[in-house]
Amino acid sequence: MTMQPAVNIVGAALLVAAPFAAELGGQTADKPMVPYGQLGGCSEKPAEFHPCAIEKAKTFTPPRMPDGTPDFRGNWARSRVSTDDLEEHPPIWMGSYDDPGGVTMIVDPADGKVPQQPWAKALQLTHRPTYRDPQSSCFLPSPPRQAYGPMGYQILQTPAGLTFLQEQSHAARVVPTDGRPHISPNILLAFGDSRGRWEGNTLVVDVTNIRPQIWFDHAGHFYSSAVHILERWTMIAPDAIHYTATITDPKVFTRPWTIAIPIRRNNDPNYELLESACIEGARVEYTEMGLKTYPYYGAKIP
Amino acid sequence: MSTRKLYTLVTATAAAVALWLAPIPAAGQALPRSSDGKPDLSGVWQTVNTAAWNVLPHGAQFGIPAGLGVVEGDALPYNAEAAAKQRENFANRATADPESKCFLPGVPRATYMGVPFQILQTPTQISMVYEYAHTLRNVFMNTPHLEGPIEFWMGDSRGRWEGDTLVVDVVHFNSETWFDRAGNHHSEELHVVERYTPVSANHITYEATIEDPKVFTRPWKMSMPLYRRMERNIQILEYECYAFDEVLEGPLHRAP
Repeated sequence: MTMQPAVNIVGAALLVAAPFAAELGGQTADKPMVPYGQLGGCSEKPAEFHPCAIEKAKTFTPPRMPDGTPDFRGNWARSRVSTDDLEEHPPIWMGSYDDPGGVTMIVDPADGKVPQQPWAKALQLTHRPTYRDPQSSCFLPSPPRQAYGPMGYQILQTPAGLTFLQEQSHAARVVPTDGRPHISPNILLAFGDSRGRWEGNTLVVDVTNIRPQIWFDHAGHFYSSAVHILERWTMIAPDAIHYTATITDPKVFTRPWTIAIPIRRNNDPNYELLESACIEGARVEYTEMGLKTYPYYGAKIP
Repeated sequence: MSTRKLYTLVTATAAAVALWLAPIPAAGQALPRSSDGKPDLSGVWQTVNTAAWNVLPHGAQFGIPAGLGVVEGDALPYNAEAAAKQRENFANRATADPESKCFLPGVPRATYMGVPFQILQTPTQISMVYEYAHTLRNVFMNTPHLEGPIEFWMGDSRGRWEGDTLVVDVVHFNSETWFDRAGNHHSEELHVVERYTPVSANHITYEATIEDPKVFTRPWKMSMPLYRRMERNIQILEYECYAFDEVLEGPLHRAP
């Protein structure tokens, strides 16, 4: 019915291969960065997309659910986003692992750098040479990575709230919008504990209780269990979402910081989410690839 | 094994005997309805039985509560070869059970793992979100199965309404999942027809008819109630099996 199985196989291969670029001796020369395009009338480059999208949102009227809230239903995926590193980085072309290269996804602070504390920066730089990206060990893409992971997701909107059905790892993230309080801090969850609310046409999601078992990117930027993420999802055109996430974690960063990315609607009428199981095949991949990095057990927070 | 024991302890407290409920929609009792007039199955549901250990009747053992079983006729119609395979599975269940490797549980096993799941209902798609392994099933309504052969862990689910019963036809499985921790098994030719019949606002009768000509000599059926979790603050949490320290330090993730 759809062409998705082939796409999934490619996606799974990328998912496994991606973090090992350094280990396998990445060849980054020769080809230039893949150019950025346009989405929703804005450049896809975060520094340009972010202010442009804020302007577009002032005049765009999104489709509505029967209860009047904006209708986010449909299939979505990151647009031109490169997650090898949140910060600016060159392209990598190895065949087994390709990254188009990218400008920084960070719109605040203005220097486009993750404002890590000195110890955190030193630790982060050891991550890629030492560990597999936890995403490649099949850990769920915790927010905000859920929004910009390599595969698409479907947004369901029901009286229970909004639900992100992820192709990657075949998992679901439920965002209640009924005003209930966060769960006890004793409970840590891979997808965190999400609470949604509407601010005008923007879905604001407050995420706490995140288990610090995943990185923001292949470059190993990390956070602690104290992290608090405030997401803002705003439709700026029928097929475009302006996504921002403000990350606060006083244990790791010197100040709150914000990423912004474009998210594009998948308009293929035959598209269906299929199953992308992960851990079930991971051991074979590790063995066959002869990897020498180690799984990542979570940030060692002093 | 430590993960499994932990899980056993957690769920043992919630276990009780399975009840046989006839799938009779409650007469004169208003079922919740969605906007398209179909029964509204939305909510968080959970089984209360011991099918996770064994779908057949079984006595208690250490850490395992006794159970009356959920299979019609109290026996599975294995062919001779498959019966031997089940005995072998049972003997090796500590390591052979796909649950011990944290693999996706398959269908119908996901239903009765002993942790809740949430049904999200729309007219064209009914999604089932499971706390166990954070997995999900998308039941696309009134659409044909994907063209095979495909081997999914959770199968390809297509739904339709028969009166007030949600009927879900599931095919395209692999042969890796089991029905329970007792080694009851199937092949990639597994075909499951599930029937979700609401009998009150807070109960659903769940039936699953199992066909697999490579393993069974005839179709067979299991049945159990699903109970709505009534807590006001109920939400699906996580049982991320592969992410526990005990598993990370085991062979699944051990550094090469």
